[in-house]
Amino acid sequence: MKLEIRRLSLRLEQFALEVNTDLHNARTGIFGPSGSGKTSLLEVIAGLRRPETARICLDDQLFDDTVRGYSLPIRLRKIGYVPQDDSLFPHLSVRQNLLYGTDGKSKRDTFSFDHVTSFLQITSLLGRDVRSLSRGENQRMVIARALLSAPRLLLLDEPLTALDAGLKKSILQQLRSLHHEFGIPMLYVTHDPAEAIEICQEVLILECGRLISRGNPLELLS
Amino acid sequence: MWPTPAEWQIVGFTLVACALSTLIILPFGLAVAWPLARYRWPGKVLVETLVTLPLVLPPVATGLLLLKFLGRRGGVGRFLHEHLGLDIVFTWRAVVAAAAVMSFPLLVRSARVGFQTVNQRFEQIARTLGAGDARVFFTITLPLASRGIIAGIILAFARAVGEFGATIMVAGNIPGRTTTLSLEIFETVQLGHDASAYRLLIVSVIIAFGAVWLSEALMKRSALR
Amino acid sequence: MPKFPGAIFILAAALALPTANGAEVNVYAAASLTDVLKEIAVNYEKQSSDKIVFNFGASSLLARQIIEHAPANVFLSADEAKMDDVQKAGLIVTESRRDLLSNSLVIIVPNDSNLAITSADQLVGKTQKIAIADPRAVPAGIYTKEYLSGIGLWEKLEPKMVPTENVRAALAAVESGNVDAGFVYKTDANISKNVKIAFSVPIEKGPVIRYPVAIVKDGKNNGAAEGFLRYLESENARKLFERHGFIVRF
Repeated sequence: MKLEIRRLSLRLEQFALEVNTDLHNARTGIFGPSGSGKTSLLEVIAGLRRPETARICLDDQLFDDTVRGYSLPIRLRKIGYVPQDDSLFPHLSVRQNLLYGTDGKSKRDTFSFDHVTSFLQITSLLGRDVRSLSRGENQRMVIARALLSAPRLLLLDEPLTALDAGLKKSILQQLRSLHHEFGIPMLYVTHDPAEAIEICQEVLILECGRLISRGNPLELLS
Repeated sequence: MWPTPAEWQIVGFTLVACALSTLIILPFGLAVAWPLARYRWPGKVLVETLVTLPLVLPPVATGLLLLKFLGRRGGVGRFLHEHLGLDIVFTWRAVVAAAAVMSFPLLVRSARVGFQTVNQRFEQIARTLGAGDARVFFTITLPLASRGIIAGIILAFARAVGEFGATIMVAGNIPGRTTTLSLEIFETVQLGHDASAYRLLIVSVIIAFGAVWLSEALMKRSALR
Repeated sequence: MPKFPGAIFILAAALALPTANGAEVNVYAAASLTDVLKEIAVNYEKQSSDKIVFNFGASSLLARQIIEHAPANVFLSADEAKMDDVQKAGLIVTESRRDLLSNSLVIIVPNDSNLAITSADQLVGKTQKIAIADPRAVPAGIYTKEYLSGIGLWEKLEPKMVPTENVRAALAAVESGNVDAGFVYKTDANISKNVKIAFSVPIEKGPVIRYPVAIVKDGKNNGAAEGFLRYLESENARKLFERHGFIVRF
């Protein structure tokens, strides 16, 4: 995949997010302390937030070009988004949640339901009520939902917060092999060095809205 | 003891007319409530005031405005009378019109609150999953706003059933044609037919109970138990 | 808060004032008498210290109010039935009851209407909506129903009827153009510039219209009420009644 971010500028509360870089790895991490602009960066890429200036392209499809006043609508970006907060639709069943992104699409354009649910080990949870899921189950469900819509890129915003170590480990393993299993690249936001080292091929370090370095996570973060 | 056939006819007519008026204002009410909940624009206060007007004006004043507008010499009324031979005032249509106008603000207020309580994060997620604006509205926004919307519908219906002042101005009290429950209670009290008045009073109470019960039942089954 | 007691005092004084000067006579009268009685009252008050306070409405509503002990002193009804009701309830001074006036019915149309109605049966083919005072209760409507039943037209015209709360409301309905025609008293038609009389029901053919008047028993200031009642039968009052088109029966 090729994600080009040019002259991205977005004013946040304390500082401005300013990024100018290209990403091409299958598993890229975005690392930084809380409030460094990581979430805002993901939101801009997903189209949930408009930058003040930017030119963003994914695999040669134009997402944003503020000079020309162009912004691709969210629904056409085909980007899977796993936010930090609870995002399963509370009024739909587990199954309806999972299948939401597959509506109207042919089998060719989506992943197999059984494949995804068994991969993320949520098959036994299908009959459950959305509100009865534990946090770990919830997170796997949200990842599965994003995955099922066959996105071109998966954005994960600190998906493993508030999970115990054992659970973290098992989900990390699943995420690590996601690209191998489904061929989808991911941008993984975290403030935990261990997670970055475990999952990412490359990590970008964000501080006060600026990229201060990038490279091998093992070298940069241990 | 039991309501007479004539009284049943009045009750039936009232329920049907009010169901119709509520049905009619539903799409308009939602269409107005949604932008009021989500957007800001210059002159928004004007829209809010206009929508609230039937709630704060004396009902007979609203009735008078409706009479001017819907009468044979008014704007809409003249058009319908001259080109379609259709009259609104002094017919059942005026009953529906008065009920619709008087109950509209209640629907909008409740629906607006309903929309405001929807967490827009869910709408955004739905978009990332490929849903267009219409799909987001009908599968995410509306269900999540359903408590407020249902409350608004019930409130509007109840208000319609209780409507009197505007109705008597614009529809008159024509037996068998425009006599509603409220109008008939008024008439029977005037004529001294107390037994009939009390029977109709009991029916009114039952309808009010029914409306509240239905509203509670619907809200339990709705999205956000 | 400190202003509160002061306001109460002023309010009480204001309410007490009229009785200090002269008596208040509460006159409950049929809607059709609105204009003529107001004029008569103005003249009366020039020569008396009493004040006339009116309550105009459909005689049926007024009778009901009096039966519920509304504070009326004088009742002027547009038909005998309503006066009978009040009398049966033992609420009038029987000796004071007498027939005061009569009236006649007319068919009116809006001023700008091109309907040519020269008799009641033409209403059948030429109109869709006819305003009348509620024929179940209001004298003007009852008289109209009596007349139309007498000439065999009630059944045909009933589906077109738009009953109104009192005869002046029927007049207003015709004025607004929302109905094609209406039945009112000739005296009502006379006061409106926005309607024209299409047909006058001849007195001999029409229903017998009687406006009885009586003093309400146990009213306060009945002495003053008698004074006003006497004035209603005076020469001055007669002139005013006749000028408005009423038929005087005293």
